[in-house]
Amino acid sequence: MPGQNPVRARNESAWLLPNDGTRTNHRLRRDMRWFADEDEIDLVIVGCGAGGSVLLQRLARHGWKVAALDAGPFWDPDTDWVSDEAGSHHLYWTDPRVITGSDPVPMGSNNSGRGVGGSMVHYAGYTPRFHPSDFMTRSLDGVGADWPISYPELRPYYQAIEEELPVAGERWPWGDPHSYPHRPHPVGGNGEIFLRGADKLGITAKVGPVAITNGRFGNRPHCIYRGFCLQGCKVNAKASPLITHIPDALAHGAEVRANAMVTRIAVDERTGRATGVHYISRGQERFQRARMVAVAGYSIETPRLLLNSASARFPDGLCNDFDQVGRYLMVQGAPQTAGRFNAEVRMYKAPPPEVSTEQFYETDPDRDAKRGFSIQTVSPLPITWAEHIAAQGHWGRALREYMSDYVHWSCLGALCEFLPLPENRVTLADEKDRYGLPVAQFSYSQCDNDRALARAAQSVMEDILSAAGADEVITIQRYAHLVGGARMAADEWHGVVDQHGRSFAVPNLYLADGSVLPTQGSANPALTIMAVAARTADQMAAGASLGG
Amino acid sequence: MSSGTAAGRSRFPGFDALGQAGQWDRVTADVVRARVGPHPVTKFFTEAEEPCARALLDLLTGQREPDGDLAVPVLEMVDARLESGQTDGWRYADMPEDGQAWRDTLAYLDADADRRCGTSFADTPEADQIALVQAVQDLKSGDWHGLPAAQVWSLWTRYACTAFYAHPFAWTEIGFPGPAYPRGYKNTGVGKLEPFEVRDARPAEDPVREGM
Repeated sequence: MPGQNPVRARNESAWLLPNDGTRTNHRLRRDMRWFADEDEIDLVIVGCGAGGSVLLQRLARHGWKVAALDAGPFWDPDTDWVSDEAGSHHLYWTDPRVITGSDPVPMGSNNSGRGVGGSMVHYAGYTPRFHPSDFMTRSLDGVGADWPISYPELRPYYQAIEEELPVAGERWPWGDPHSYPHRPHPVGGNGEIFLRGADKLGITAKVGPVAITNGRFGNRPHCIYRGFCLQGCKVNAKASPLITHIPDALAHGAEVRANAMVTRIAVDERTGRATGVHYISRGQERFQRARMVAVAGYSIETPRLLLNSASARFPDGLCNDFDQVGRYLMVQGAPQTAGRFNAEVRMYKAPPPEVSTEQFYETDPDRDAKRGFSIQTVSPLPITWAEHIAAQGHWGRALREYMSDYVHWSCLGALCEFLPLPENRVTLADEKDRYGLPVAQFSYSQCDNDRALARAAQSVMEDILSAAGADEVITIQRYAHLVGGARMAADEWHGVVDQHGRSFAVPNLYLADGSVLPTQGSANPALTIMAVAARTADQMAAGASLGG
Repeated sequence: MSSGTAAGRSRFPGFDALGQAGQWDRVTADVVRARVGPHPVTKFFTEAEEPCARALLDLLTGQREPDGDLAVPVLEMVDARLESGQTDGWRYADMPEDGQAWRDTLAYLDADADRRCGTSFADTPEADQIALVQAVQDLKSGDWHGLPAAQVWSLWTRYACTAFYAHPFAWTEIGFPGPAYPRGYKNTGVGKLEPFEVRDARPAEDPVREGM
């Protein structure tokens, strides 16, 4: 019955999806409002992922004339996505990028999404909150940075987004203790191993928190535990903005303009205000006028777009008067440790995100490093697992033999809070992409604190798997997630945007994505990106009502 | 369609991933079936490069063993990928873009073979091929023909493994049922199998513990 669910009253997305076994409301897309380039709309958003989609939905609800442009397609899970690893390559941002530094970070499938829904189309589905300490690491631990906002300011937005996704999990004892709207999912073999090993060692581990429906939610069905979360959820059970915020945005008059690559933000040199965005659609150069501009292209493309929007007033890149654009880009150290059991674990069954612990999240005086790490189940499918085995040095016949043992392995992953460093940054490379724009070059190097955390995390994972009965453990070093690159700060000498996401340099230009985060904690960032964007939306709406 | 196994000794007797294709959604089934063939002629690699590429890729994926050939068309799969410019979305600053890196490294491999045996890599005896490839891996982050060997190794193994373990014959070999939509799984947990999964016939055969 309409109105019965309180979430539905403020975000009807899950009820706007079909309930006949198909996954896309084609009529909603067909009837979508279209703005003309010449219309000066209230807001144009660049990027339709975690941040951009929430901003779009919120401001559409406020009656704004708002459009979101995305470089990629407007996905239909039925026809565009497959239950297959290699066949999901098109979900990743694979335009050229150059990686360098002493510890270069691979992009693509690892951290970069493409199309409406963004990286949340292929994220695992973990949606933990940041801890209160994450907002003040400089004050507490003398590392990283303090945010210009505190945890309590974000708490109501965390709660709201957790209800809208919705998140399933046990009551969470870490950080600011809280519960989740959906019960925890049953665990598969990998989760069982984690719980067993943790229990033996006296480590607290909990089921969740994952943004996967446990039971029906609107017209979204229950998870079928097929294990292909990272390939895009064909079931509509795992949350991504494509199904959690876009349908409601369209129903409230927003436009999603897919396959539209924004190339440059236009700023009036006389007034100093943004006037819209240049973009390329079907090979044609176009310009969308707007009263306000918000960029939500994530930590590589957002800085790149600002740098590519240089002008006479901003010779080193838009909003880059103080050399802050592209800096303090963070990735989490994400060593994965696997353990071998004679029993069959078959970790590909059940979603990869199942169980996690945040017991090691905070600074521990007994550790030789500041801040900490979390540990979660990860359940690589065969291609990713082959990468794990190949990293041990095996190839040829030996690789095949090791791979034939796949069903016996359990795999855990850590998220280590690697620190924000100014030299870890995006700049423009000499190389150009197919639009003729300089591509991003991302330089990344670890510091001693980072390496110490990765070692500590690996050791805990080895202990858990051994306690669970593993007779061998192997580890691969890797990275996960991206945040930062255009961070929020108290002033323009230390960041690109203020606490509301508004750029210091251009009063009607906002950033609303992971790039604004000053620290990353040991939490998967999707929920925090959405919560921060929802807060920015409230501020923008309030500003507008005040005539700002 | 039957599929071979490593060394011809199946750990999962009677299991055939592709045999389950009738349970897969149509879009996925089409994508997977296309990998089984027939395959278009090679387009990216030149006639001169193809034998070297084929020899290298088959060697990296253990398909040159006389006692059990899976015949996964790794060369054709990598060729199609490079022809369509389907990269991983990044390259190391000290490497050319992927396509050029493949061409360059195949030429270097041929040059190494010529120096060692006076033949092209493809015509070199297998023991020497293995030694030549192993030498690149052993360089680790050292220099190989002006390129960082570790990055070359990463390029080769990434493309080879991605192609090989995308193929249903490889899934059969490792007991993985492949696509799982719309069926999903009902029996999750340690030791629990679906009716269509087959238990490992040699569960104690742990290659890690036995070492190489």
